[in-house]
Amino acid sequence: MDKKKNQWKAWLYLLPAIVLLLVFTVWPIFNTIRMSLLKDYDDLAAIGGATFEFGFANFAKVISYRGFLTCLGNTVLLTVITVPISTMLALLIAVALNSIKWLSKIFQTIFFLPYVTNSIAIGMVFMAMFSMIGGGPTTEPVSIGIINTIIEACGGTRINWVNAGSDYWSNMFVLIIYIVWNALPFKILVLLGGLQGVNKQYYDAAKVDGASRLRTFWRVTVPLLSPMIAYVVITGFIGGFKEYSSIVGIFGESMGPVGNPGSLNTMVGFIYDAITNNPGRASAAALILFAIIFAVTMVNLYVSKKRVHY
Amino acid sequence: MKVVLEHLTKIFPSRNKKDKNAEVVAVNDFSLEIPDGKLIGLLGPSGCGKSTTLFMISGLQEPTSGRIFFGENDVTKLSPENRGIGLVFQNYALYPHMTVQQNILFPLQNLKGENRLSKEEMLERATKVAKLVQIDEFMDRKPSELSGGQQQRVAIARALVKMPRVLLLDEPLSNLDARLRLQTREEIRRIQRDTQITTIFVTHDQEEAMSISDYIVVMKLGVIMQTGKPQWVYDDPANLFVAKFLGSPPINMLSGKVEGGALYIGNERVLEVPELEDREVYIGIRPEGFLLRANGRLTCKVSGIDVMGRDISVVSTNENSLNPVVRSIISADEIGNAEGDTARFDLKPHKVFLFDKETEERIYFGEQVAAHEKIIAQMKAEGQDYVTHEGPLPREADDRSSSEQPPEEKKGILAKLKGLLPKKREKAADEQPEPVEQPEGQDDKE
Amino acid sequence: MTENINAVSDEQILPAPPKGMKERDIRKVSKKQTVLKVLAQIGLYVFLTVIAIAVLFPFYWMLISSLKTLNEYNATVPTLWPQEFLWANYVTAFTGELELGQLFLNTVIVGVVSTILSLVVTVLSAYAFARLEFKGKNALFAALLATMMIPGELFTITNYVTVSAFGWLHTYTVLIVPFLVSVFYIYLLRQNFLQIPNELYLAAKVDGTSDLKYLWRVMIPLSAPTLVSITILKMMGAWNSYIWPRLVANDTMHRLVTVGLRGAAFVDEATGMTNFPAQMAAVVIVTIPLLLVFIFFRKYIMRGVSRSGIKG
Repeated sequence: MDKKKNQWKAWLYLLPAIVLLLVFTVWPIFNTIRMSLLKDYDDLAAIGGATFEFGFANFAKVISYRGFLTCLGNTVLLTVITVPISTMLALLIAVALNSIKWLSKIFQTIFFLPYVTNSIAIGMVFMAMFSMIGGGPTTEPVSIGIINTIIEACGGTRINWVNAGSDYWSNMFVLIIYIVWNALPFKILVLLGGLQGVNKQYYDAAKVDGASRLRTFWRVTVPLLSPMIAYVVITGFIGGFKEYSSIVGIFGESMGPVGNPGSLNTMVGFIYDAITNNPGRASAAALILFAIIFAVTMVNLYVSKKRVHY
Repeated sequence: MKVVLEHLTKIFPSRNKKDKNAEVVAVNDFSLEIPDGKLIGLLGPSGCGKSTTLFMISGLQEPTSGRIFFGENDVTKLSPENRGIGLVFQNYALYPHMTVQQNILFPLQNLKGENRLSKEEMLERATKVAKLVQIDEFMDRKPSELSGGQQQRVAIARALVKMPRVLLLDEPLSNLDARLRLQTREEIRRIQRDTQITTIFVTHDQEEAMSISDYIVVMKLGVIMQTGKPQWVYDDPANLFVAKFLGSPPINMLSGKVEGGALYIGNERVLEVPELEDREVYIGIRPEGFLLRANGRLTCKVSGIDVMGRDISVVSTNENSLNPVVRSIISADEIGNAEGDTARFDLKPHKVFLFDKETEERIYFGEQVAAHEKIIAQMKAEGQDYVTHEGPLPREADDRSSSEQPPEEKKGILAKLKGLLPKKREKAADEQPEPVEQPEGQDDKE
Repeated sequence: MTENINAVSDEQILPAPPKGMKERDIRKVSKKQTVLKVLAQIGLYVFLTVIAIAVLFPFYWMLISSLKTLNEYNATVPTLWPQEFLWANYVTAFTGELELGQLFLNTVIVGVVSTILSLVVTVLSAYAFARLEFKGKNALFAALLATMMIPGELFTITNYVTVSAFGWLHTYTVLIVPFLVSVFYIYLLRQNFLQIPNELYLAAKVDGTSDLKYLWRVMIPLSAPTLVSITILKMMGAWNSYIWPRLVANDTMHRLVTVGLRGAAFVDEATGMTNFPAQMAAVVIVTIPLLLVFIFFRKYIMRGVSRSGIKG
């Protein structure tokens, strides 16, 4: 009897969560698929009794868009560049942090700071640091910005990073710097946690075996840390494909420098742009994104299964 | 390669910043000469500093003071890879991601400069060593696919492949089950004999140490209590601790006194010790030191008899015993001498050890004096120092909470002391004057 | 087997150990070792310091820029320290078109309400999954975990349609309700609950304690650290959320702080140029609460984060 009583009690406890999940998680899965398959689906029209052609028209339309291909290209490029850089850098920093005693806590705190910031807000700071003020295509700028000042002080030539007329790769460079800056804390945290979990005896053994620091790093640290590295890379790829707010932070909602809006748009940006006027197309794009993320994750898992040791 | 340790001391700084005195002296003024090509067992209860000593010899831990010589060379400041040592860790520390072969090859691949080997040479050496420890059939397996004993042998192979001048083993058998332990310790003995590498191994198991060591070093609280061949240390313990620590079944401890040239337990006169002055003593009697006689001098109440084939173990009680029972091992034909539940024993004088109640040091009597001199002479002849510890220990059983253990020393609670250096004397047993000693009474002040 | 041993041992497996180094060599090697060790340590600190500067520089630049006059900010050679501190930038940030006060109010209301409701829902569900027995428990839990793999964008599209149909656009409700349930938090808390020994529950039952009372008096206090982690992450989430609020509640009365910050233009009326100092002042105002939370709750944040990989 007691058991039966517990049954409904359990469901009572779960009720709020289940209702909310049904409405905002389960239903969207089906509805998004449905909308993606109805050509130019429109909500209001649907309520009005309109019917829509069933098929893959939305997908075809999305893929044929030049805008979409730009978004896809930007997304892939940013992911493929930033994930390896940030992972490698985070690994080096984690190893360095793990081999010092003095000040280690302070460094850890500093390196974690970017995590707790608002990526839009700090994106605006990066924008301010890279941007030139005043001037135009022919006139000299009033101020070239702190980063360009530093570059010139080091003997380089200034670059139009983010302002009107700036070229694609300069924009990309700024984005990469910012995304890596933003991605480091989480990766350092996970990798450092992994390092601290490695039995110190392996390092003692490596010392006795005469392995140099570099060899110890490649032959002992990296293999022993490979599960963590795989985790960081996989989550990095997933996050990379969903990149959006870093670009909004730096370039604003125009998703590009002045005069060239949309040039830096991403997959997620494409989806959001389409939500309000063409949910069917947005759904198709979202499913494509999901498929890509899924495929990349599977590849990642497959590779890491081969490479991750034990 | 002989290994000489000179006044090695290791102090772990206090972890508790407020209590600066909480520093831990793990090894305390440890001096020892380890002869070439021998197998030495460092023996002691957990927390006695034996592992720390081993790690200092390996170079993984730096001594706070003191020096380490390999042969004539001072290696105190050298890092492990430059010392030419092999080290087998307690849990083996085999690289889990490498196969057996890769594990064994790893030290060779790290050789630099003129020592560099070609790939073929490396493989050849690895194969030879693998054969030596009999794991050559598992070369392609990962450590996780091996049994404990096999992993152990891989660890030894990895330690041997560089042809170390000194092989160090940290509790090599503690992770094996009883049967494997027996087998593996013979294996270690065999490998050591075959290779003739000076080998030092750490254990808390006295039987293990006794059975395979050429020499044993008994330690307590970071201090050497006694050195010598296992049999000598067993037959001639220098103090109460060593007597109690060695022997299975353990020695029987009783309380007694010397009065008028005789040794009394209770009011029974058990032995004649004409040259000793009157005093209170602890009496240690090895189980095999009893003779069951109809008119024996020591009376005990029998509580149980275990027949162990040729021998019989008599479990009895005596009110002066410091242990719950007095355990004696007698030959089977003596058992008829017992009457009911009363056993009367005579004692074999060379199996009876007397200890001062204050210092817990041995009091030699009768023929023991000559036997003791003989052992010292023999050790000298073999080029070994006879080292014992005298005087009070730096810190007796000052149990600090385990949370304050230093990070490096996981093996328990160690001596805490500052400015409290123990007196230790090396009886070199030669005609030279003994090293200058501090005047008596210094101890009391400390 | 024994034969084998003999065969091997007869052959003199290991050649004689290499001759010991000469005294002088040893001293040289020891010295070199020490030098290398010190150099390596110095190298590590230099590396970490360089990275630390790179990490901190944007914060530094944000702070000093927020205090510069517009003229100084626009100087040909940027100054590394404000010549005069212009606190008025903060006034401008607050009083300008940004309406920071309203943004803060909106964000705090949404953050607090959604955190409290979310905690209630999470605690109840985690308790059911951890302690109560019912049919299909494991299947349901697995299904829940499976939804974690789907990117949020997929839900957003339909949710936008749904909340429009509900007439929730431009209300607080739309900012609070759709993301109340986090499967990840339920998972986190359930794991925590499971660690509490079942004997405690049975003992409470014997004493006649009700389930709810047990939950309130035993489970919740024992899981306090996880609950704190969830609270902080949820609050930070409200503070940092951008995409959803911009989509569904981008009006003055309900706009959240990040949306407002990004949307504002910060144009200096006199020159028509971007007023970067005022903008940076606003950024500082938005960033400072996060840093304060981080300083005080560092442990909880890092604990929650290391297990999730999800920002905010």
